[in-house]
Amino acid sequence: MVSPILLIVVPLGLAFVLPLFRFISTKIGRYIPAIAMLFNLIVSLDCLPRALRAPIVVRTGQWAPPFSIHLVAGPLGLGMAALIALVGFLVSVYGIVYIRESARDRYDVLYILLLTGATGIVLTGDIFNLYVFFEILCVSSYALVAFRGDRPGVEAAAKYLIQGAVGSALALVGIGMLYGLFGTLSMADIAQNITSCEPTTVFVALALLITGFGVEGALFPLNGWLPDAHSSAPSTISAILSGIAIQVGVFAVAKIVLLVFGAKTILFLLVVLGLITLLVGEMSAFAQENIKRMLAYSSIGQVGLILFAVSIASPGAVSGGLFLIVSHALAKALLFICAGYMIYRTGSTSILSMNGIAKRMPLTSLCFSVGALSLVGLPPFVGFPSKFMIIRAALQQPQSIFTVLMGIALLGTVVEGAYFLRVIQGIYFRPAANPQNSQATARNEAPWPALVPIVILAAIIVIVGLYPQLVGKLVTVASSELLDRSSFIRAVMGG
Amino acid sequence: MLQTILLVGLGGSVLTYLGAKLWPRLREVLAVGFSVAQLVLVILGYGHWVHREYFGSFLGLGLGLRLDALSWFFALCVTLVGALCVIFSVPYFGRKQRPDFYYFAILLVNAAMLGIVLSADLLCFFIFWEIMSWTAYLLISYKRGRALQAGLKYIVMSLIGSCSMLLGLLSVYAAWATFDIAQVASGIASASPMFLLYLLITFGIGFGIKSALVPLHTWLADAHSEAPSPFSAVLSGILIKMGVFGFILLFYVVAGLKLFVGLGSGIISFHYVLCWLAAVSIVVPTFIAVLQTDAKRLLAWSSIGQIGYIVLGLGFGTKLAFAGALLHTFNHAAFKALLFLAIAAVEYRTGGIRDLSRLGGLAKRMPVTFACALIGGLGLIGVPLTSGFVSKWLLYKTLIARQYPFLALAALIGTWGAILYVYKLIHNVFLGQLPARYEQVRSAPGAMKLAVVVLASVIIFFGVFPGLILRLLGSIGESVGFGPLEATLGGFGPEVGPLNTISILFACVVAMLLLVLILRAGARSRVVSQRDSYAAGAFVPEDSYHHSVRFYDPFERMVAGYLKDRIDQFYYGVAAQAQRVFDILRRIYTGDAGSYAIYIVSFLGFLILCKLVWPVW
Repeated sequence: MVSPILLIVVPLGLAFVLPLFRFISTKIGRYIPAIAMLFNLIVSLDCLPRALRAPIVVRTGQWAPPFSIHLVAGPLGLGMAALIALVGFLVSVYGIVYIRESARDRYDVLYILLLTGATGIVLTGDIFNLYVFFEILCVSSYALVAFRGDRPGVEAAAKYLIQGAVGSALALVGIGMLYGLFGTLSMADIAQNITSCEPTTVFVALALLITGFGVEGALFPLNGWLPDAHSSAPSTISAILSGIAIQVGVFAVAKIVLLVFGAKTILFLLVVLGLITLLVGEMSAFAQENIKRMLAYSSIGQVGLILFAVSIASPGAVSGGLFLIVSHALAKALLFICAGYMIYRTGSTSILSMNGIAKRMPLTSLCFSVGALSLVGLPPFVGFPSKFMIIRAALQQPQSIFTVLMGIALLGTVVEGAYFLRVIQGIYFRPAANPQNSQATARNEAPWPALVPIVILAAIIVIVGLYPQLVGKLVTVASSELLDRSSFIRAVMGG
Repeated sequence: MLQTILLVGLGGSVLTYLGAKLWPRLREVLAVGFSVAQLVLVILGYGHWVHREYFGSFLGLGLGLRLDALSWFFALCVTLVGALCVIFSVPYFGRKQRPDFYYFAILLVNAAMLGIVLSADLLCFFIFWEIMSWTAYLLISYKRGRALQAGLKYIVMSLIGSCSMLLGLLSVYAAWATFDIAQVASGIASASPMFLLYLLITFGIGFGIKSALVPLHTWLADAHSEAPSPFSAVLSGILIKMGVFGFILLFYVVAGLKLFVGLGSGIISFHYVLCWLAAVSIVVPTFIAVLQTDAKRLLAWSSIGQIGYIVLGLGFGTKLAFAGALLHTFNHAAFKALLFLAIAAVEYRTGGIRDLSRLGGLAKRMPVTFACALIGGLGLIGVPLTSGFVSKWLLYKTLIARQYPFLALAALIGTWGAILYVYKLIHNVFLGQLPARYEQVRSAPGAMKLAVVVLASVIIFFGVFPGLILRLLGSIGESVGFGPLEATLGGFGPEVGPLNTISILFACVVAMLLLVLILRAGARSRVVSQRDSYAAGAFVPEDSYHHSVRFYDPFERMVAGYLKDRIDQFYYGVAAQAQRVFDILRRIYTGDAGSYAIYIVSFLGFLILCKLVWPVW
């Protein structure tokens, strides 16, 4: 019996032991993140079959809930943990050769901490513990955004820090209010006691938590930090921030709204908010000149769609939203790490400088196109089934307002398609900026340790796109966990 | 069996790409082999109708294939034109350009189109539809330069169309919890008229964009003229027909004849509005085609006009109109592909020239191409003994017999315009004086000749024996609820109105013989050089004797003012406005941490304010 708590303990321990490895060899440290994430992947997949039968509740300190910090590893949490570990593993393999700076150790420690924070957020069953893992995630990502030490990086990290701190403070106030109201921090116990969000004190606590975690979840208008932070971080970190961190933020918001508060009344507002986030993100992405900024704004759009789907709160819509979390994590991580070496090779982050790069980096370009087509939601890639499930669920709602909202959301998809396909066109069919320069046309693929994770991610996108059932069943089970409050309470509190 | 056909197509495209990477010589062999194999398999499948064959599942929804007369007919068009275009591409691209990607994409497009017509459920249909859309986008952009803009325009419109279709598709699912075409068709009988209209419009936008029905046509002219020429033939010959197939599926198979014709009443009924859109699609683009100076643009605009005929027939919704529309679909696939390929052959031999005012006199240099292009052009006009005659005859006959004079007039104007632009095309490319720079032009390569000759003989063959195909069309018509179509080998029986193309053939042969005899018996003619002429009292300088510049000048001055593509300008205006709005929205992200912090706090304030004073939920 492997306990899910290992998912947090082992990476956390490795992160702090990592600097000591320098005394053995200076090279060994860079492999630790990959090892940690591979371990997490194996453990989470190992626990998953058990969790499918009943959520695994892990107690710490031999205290039964609600008196201790506990983890609730249901299919939802473990599925997310497996996704985090998978993307984290592939990106860290890529990072072995990609990160060349001298301060390698610091990067590796912070990288593991970032992913541990994310894993903790999805597994924890304690709302203050949630806050703690959030801080781990945020603090390590502030530092990683500034990792290069260049001016845009530091500036972006400072902005991110300011907004993140405001958000954390609000969330902390919200948690304090909850503790004052109910005298407990266990999510299940709070959920048991909240019968209605109507009392203003309960609602204010909810509003504080939505705002606080919404900052990390990049909801509009709380996402001002995102374009700067995602575009100035190293590409591996952008991949993790976009692919994992913000989606974990949205996940936390969804968990609080649906599972803890059961706030049915506020859901429609969140649907509209998701739609606005989607449209603002896609429209802002349209005119970007910088490839990483474009990808960052596109992440805002996708997160908006996730929130839109999850807030509809029908089983189909929530599973569609969770599916979109999976497909967006895979596709966006792939796009960022492909863009990483493209930027190295051209020496510029401008979209124009990527013109004609398919001649130099054919395989990377192919994988980039796979990611882009998947994100737009074209078959046979993984983005299609996720968008398909969301649209299906939205149209199955009895109120026809959802049909209208979905139609507006699809306009966002058209905009998204326009800018992504324009980039693909540029990569393949536009002439390179300076064709005379022979170095600019010579074949110069990414090194193979970086290429392997790129190809694996692209392959996963195609395979899951062809056989969406591979993920479809899991997200269906997970969505019922997110929607079924009473069985969540029963599983944790017993009885 | 259907899976095998699809697998040959889909697997073939991937194998061709990989094979070409391993051993470049394999590329053409594999591409041609797979597409011909697909054609043979489809032909062999005739009569082996399959009601439903599951081949996979998608999120627990079954994906199925089916083969009936309708889908076989379209599958034949797709594979025939597809295979000929692939054969044509072999010399067109040669070996130096390494067109691995081109073959991969064109085989994938062909396979996806085959998947569309063989789908037994709407989900399968949509998946193949999307694959077709984005692959075609890559192919349209293939030639770089101006093709990039054309490709972008195509894909944006195409995405709008598919989003609209997706809404309709999933509304169908929400209503009846199935994608199966037969089950949807039985469910739709109980749908309210408003819901039916909503479905027809959402799907119709998707199909209308793909089939370039006015006012959704604006992508077509650019995309057709900028795509690589053999792919232009696929695009115009069959890809836009997928929209037609969609219309047939939607109107006749899913909605059913009664519901489709019965929606609305009198002048404002759905199908009547569609007929008028089709009439506009015939007239205006035909005149725009007359004014073009780029051979491929001319053909592209002509395609929009010809699609108008097809949609007119479909919208009209009678037995003869339906058969005429289907036959015209087949004919248009044959003669438009033929004309595009002939122009591509000319382009190939003259070094990429397709400007009508710079070509001329190539008939002597490329006689086979000329003869085939002439047959294609005659088919397009609808001259007897070409298959185009039969389909247009059916349409005219219906419109006149049912007393719709204005629609009939629109159809006739379309044909008159077609005479003008076909003459312009044939004359400016093949007739007239041969410019000195083309003295050394050689005849088209064998594979190119093969493709155009096959298409030309198809046009003549079905022009003389229309009965062979009319029987198939009759059975398709019966399957969607029309009465039986009485067809003989050479036309129709007296019930429809007698037509016997075989007698026409004999009459023509006799007339030709008589003509030859009379000419032989009469005075001997003297063959003079083309330059042996006299113009208004002065010798004509050698290089300026060339009529093909500013063809139809008076006509052009008369109509050009009315024929600006205002719809296109309108779309561009909308796009420009949208970009302006995007730019304004982008300023929300000021880059200033202070304002972002204010956003956060005011969001919280907004939430609480809503709760306290304005409970919207």
